[in-house]
Amino acid sequence: MNEDDQPLDPAESLRLIERERSATARRIIPDPRLLLWPWGIAWLIGFTVYFLRFGPDGHVTVDMPAWLPLVVLLVLIFIAGTITGFVGGRAARQVSGPTSRQGKMYGWTWGLAFSGMITVLSRISELLPTAQATLLWTGTLTALTGALHMAGGAIWNDRTMFRLGAWLSVVNVAGVILGPGWHALVVAVAGGGGMLVAGLVSWLRLPHVADGERARR
Amino acid sequence: MTDDAVPELDPVIHAQARLRVVSSLSTLREGDSIAFPRLQDILRMTPGNLSVHLRKLEDAGYVEVTKTHQGRTPATLVSLTRRGRLAFEDYTTAVRALLNGGAGSQEQS
Repeated sequence: MNEDDQPLDPAESLRLIERERSATARRIIPDPRLLLWPWGIAWLIGFTVYFLRFGPDGHVTVDMPAWLPLVVLLVLIFIAGTITGFVGGRAARQVSGPTSRQGKMYGWTWGLAFSGMITVLSRISELLPTAQATLLWTGTLTALTGALHMAGGAIWNDRTMFRLGAWLSVVNVAGVILGPGWHALVVAVAGGGGMLVAGLVSWLRLPHVADGERARR
Repeated sequence: MTDDAVPELDPVIHAQARLRVVSSLSTLREGDSIAFPRLQDILRMTPGNLSVHLRKLEDAGYVEVTKTHQGRTPATLVSLTRRGRLAFEDYTTAVRALLNGGAGSQEQS
């Protein structure tokens, strides 16, 4: 019988259980900050650049080439997507079963839903003036993002994710009513900001983080 | 407190290394399994040591070890069975009971 086989006293057992459970959770649950902050930053910067170039009533706050805002936004979205894909893929390689299957299906849902949206909008948007075309793209993008977050909240019974989705959906409608230009500002600040807040809240609610905070107090 | 009120601790789980394995596996959702190297990494155990304890847990029906393929690379997946999950819950309940009920009597002895 080696040391590993030695029985423990009850208090030691409980401490060991807690320690091992939180060590494992830390390693297998993807950090929500890594999943949400890249998107929050992408929206915050990307749509702010849009607002600065395509403001309300065609106002140009910062003079830059008309193609630049879209390129900036796409690059930021590409970076955010790569980070999310990497984090999600790493989680899927560690744990197999229902959890990773759900994650994969949800990932495919985003991919296919956005492909559908892009296909439809690119056939229509060229017929519209720039301001309306921009509103069509950003308004639909935000509506779809809001709906997918709400659905994700329903799938994982995750209130923070659901609230983020509902918030994006409501803010989007408000922005669209305010009109072209304002919509980009609203989505940048309230939408991107909402993602940053949701990432922080989800992180603080992780069992191992919450337990750690309690232990420090 | 009479002797028969003291809960029995499951000897399969009540050993440091196996308690660590079972605690770690209990964080997975039911039906999920974790790759062997990953578990080994989290628990900081040698492959040989982990295998020995997994074998004992498997013999008790608490753990399931599945050999499979992920793409072309062979993979060994480890999960807690329903029976193992129950045993772990019973164990935690028993330990808590011992701790709460035994606090006074330990001081006397």
